[in-house]
Amino acid sequence: MPLDKENVRRVQVLGIDAGGTMTDTFFVDSDGDFVVGKAQSTPQNEALGLIASSKEGLEHWGLTLEEALGEIQTGVYSGTAMLNRVVQRKGLRCGLIVNAGMEDFHRMGRAIQAYLGFAYEDRIHLNTHYYDEPLVPRHLTRGVMERIDMSGTVVIPLREETARVAAKELIAQDVEGIVISLLHSYRNPEHERRVRDIVQEEVAASGKTIPVFASTDYYPVRKETHRTNTTILEAYAAEPSRQTLQKISSAFKENGSKFDFRVMATHGGTISWKAKELARTISSGPIGGVIGAKYLGETLGYANIACSDIGGTSFDVALITQNELTIRNDPDMARLVLSLPLVAMDSVGAGAGSFIRLDPYTKAIKLGPDSAGYRVGVCWEDSGIDTVTISDCHVILGYLNPDNFLGGQVKLDRQRAWEAMKDQIADPLGLSVEDAAAGVIELLDSDLRDYLRSMISGKGSTPGNFVCFSYGGAGPVHTYGYTEGLGFEDVIVPAWAAGFSAFGCAAADFEYRYDKSLDINIAVDASGDLKAAQAQTLQAAWAELKARVLEEFELNGYGPDKVTLQPGFRMQYRGQLNDLEIESPIASAATAEDWDRLVEAFNDTYGRVYAASARSPELGYSVTGAIMRGTVPIPKPRIPKEELAGETPPESAKLGTRKFYRKKRWVDAQLYRMEALQPGNRITGPAVIESDATTFVVPDGFETWLDGHRLFHLKEV
Amino acid sequence: MAYTKAKIRDLVDGKIDRDTLHTMLSTPKDRDRFEMYLEILQEQVPWDDPIILPLGPKLFIVQRKSDNKWMIRSFAGHDFCAWDENWKLHARIRVRETQEQMEELYPKLMAPTTGWQVIREYFCPLSGDLLDVEAPTPWYPVIHDFEPDIDTFYRDWLGKEIPARA
Repeated sequence: MPLDKENVRRVQVLGIDAGGTMTDTFFVDSDGDFVVGKAQSTPQNEALGLIASSKEGLEHWGLTLEEALGEIQTGVYSGTAMLNRVVQRKGLRCGLIVNAGMEDFHRMGRAIQAYLGFAYEDRIHLNTHYYDEPLVPRHLTRGVMERIDMSGTVVIPLREETARVAAKELIAQDVEGIVISLLHSYRNPEHERRVRDIVQEEVAASGKTIPVFASTDYYPVRKETHRTNTTILEAYAAEPSRQTLQKISSAFKENGSKFDFRVMATHGGTISWKAKELARTISSGPIGGVIGAKYLGETLGYANIACSDIGGTSFDVALITQNELTIRNDPDMARLVLSLPLVAMDSVGAGAGSFIRLDPYTKAIKLGPDSAGYRVGVCWEDSGIDTVTISDCHVILGYLNPDNFLGGQVKLDRQRAWEAMKDQIADPLGLSVEDAAAGVIELLDSDLRDYLRSMISGKGSTPGNFVCFSYGGAGPVHTYGYTEGLGFEDVIVPAWAAGFSAFGCAAADFEYRYDKSLDINIAVDASGDLKAAQAQTLQAAWAELKARVLEEFELNGYGPDKVTLQPGFRMQYRGQLNDLEIESPIASAATAEDWDRLVEAFNDTYGRVYAASARSPELGYSVTGAIMRGTVPIPKPRIPKEELAGETPPESAKLGTRKFYRKKRWVDAQLYRMEALQPGNRITGPAVIESDATTFVVPDGFETWLDGHRLFHLKEV
Repeated sequence: MAYTKAKIRDLVDGKIDRDTLHTMLSTPKDRDRFEMYLEILQEQVPWDDPIILPLGPKLFIVQRKSDNKWMIRSFAGHDFCAWDENWKLHARIRVRETQEQMEELYPKLMAPTTGWQVIREYFCPLSGDLLDVEAPTPWYPVIHDFEPDIDTFYRDWLGKEIPARA
């Protein structure tokens, strides 16, 4: 790059994805150009990996960290700060107030929590199941006498003195937060609010400062364990995580940044680290990619997208249908069931770092479920790993360049991998090393392919209706393998695949979203009055949620006039089990006509997501929840648009050839440098397109074409 | 994957860490696991006769050195009977069959009715170690739990010679 251009570049957006294996940073300049930085994650102090990754990325532009940070207007973080805290149970000492007689339900948890996150084999292997220590121990749990039934009717009035005693006892035990979660408080919050006020009075009288969290103020949604777990997380982990985020923020400020970090949240928007509800930032890494795919799809006109992401430890798949994400309302994380809106995604514990083992008795090859994570495999001597991994197979077969892993930051030793593979897998099976390694790759690819296929057919669709996006550091190595024969409409590998999740974070809206459970049931032939009454019930919920969205933006200095509000609701046919999330076509609801428009929007969506013939309006309708989303405009990465050059790649992109093994023979694969390829170039396999952070494999029988948006299209020929 | 003897000892002693235990449960057993397990048990018991098979935390089938007879022996060293007999019939037995005896274990009103269910506790006569507990109906016979097929286990599963048996 000419020296005089350096000062012209203005970096605008920074996206960060701090994963379990790698920390990716993604910088976008004012022209929409971008660069990806990668470094190994540093779980002890995340800021170190972040700074290292940023420096690595900016080096490509010849910029120093200080030069770039001063210009950046927006920075989005997604990572595992809060998740780690919960997994390691390093939260605050909290007290819990529940109904008298229910003091043990948090400690007992839900049975599913004993095996959440386990591989299928372990789920059916009861001996592996275990219960975690509760977030709040029994001796810090108190009951108050009251009862409200599921319709919101008071069955036992609140005995206020029991609340006072509970509060006093917890305060005396020096808790750092008090959580209140009473039965059915999402339906009728009166008692819970009264308990909250009493506790606050007692805290004030004690002269201590202890924050109080009532579930109805945070997550007024049904399912007791979910709601209680989530509210406890606010008290238990959110404050300490806020400090971690603040630390990261100040590490960047020390290097000259002027922006305030936002954090990727489970609902697919970004929120400020100052947000009142921070529990929803608990896990956000893989969501970034889905948001990125949605953003690309909306800009370039792909409505149905199968997002697939392979990193070091897992294969994550999400489907976007008609530009809409699916939101799950009761996800689980850190072995807890929670009440958070989460972008639906399915994961298989198989990634590039997955260990390969032989069953000593049956000699069957077993992949994972554990993985080497950031330690790559046997091929990296310093890793201390002695069990072979998928990455070892890639190195053996010539897929990966051992001298250019992470741009040469880590040198891989092919011979070491070869010997370990021979010893552990090939010899016991009586195979050659390359056949054993190729067999492992085929096995993984067919597992992933079956998974992708079953996910799409589970939606009543076929791959032919979807464009498959493949990203993640290891995604493009496997793209051909797990898409082969599925017949996707198109298969797309973005040139910035390795930083795609970070890109997605940068592309996400600044958005708060709040949910509230409702129980509206109405027959299809209900009277106009009844419809109007239900519309008003929904409107009351919207008004409540709207106030909270606006309150969050107020914290970040955005007045109500700057916020765009989008109400939504969850509706289902009466008696069915699954609801759909619908964006409301109207800003507020009051009349029977308004109600009809909501129903119409639901019927439309239902027909689109499933099939028009599957609609069952004769059953009547239920609204199970109200949703309010608010956004403010922020700068986003621009998707590049470049002029097409010829089909023949320039000579300067060629890097020589490498021996490449597939289908029982060694061939010479042409190597290309990804950055040097020009839009319009067409490459026929066998070829390997290398970049610092990712490797795109195009075996024989495949061809790829680079379009003007720096997206590779992969085709079988 | 091979585990060190120290890890297996932690497993035997119930002190193993959760993550290793989980990996151990989810992956196939090491080939030499049983031998290592026996070695560890052998180091812990106060007698020298070789253990053939553990039957419980403090109960073993051993090959008695003096006459090569296979016996069921407690940790403390009491020989109950030959390996293929019902050792419970030779143990010291306490039957909890009154409500007072039950309420030593259960909160009041939460114990089984002894007319329907009793608790039988089997002790080592030497040390008083509790070796087994069962909760049958009062008239139920003292069943021979199982007779392990040690020959097949050694020969076909472990690929080892069957120890001498008189």
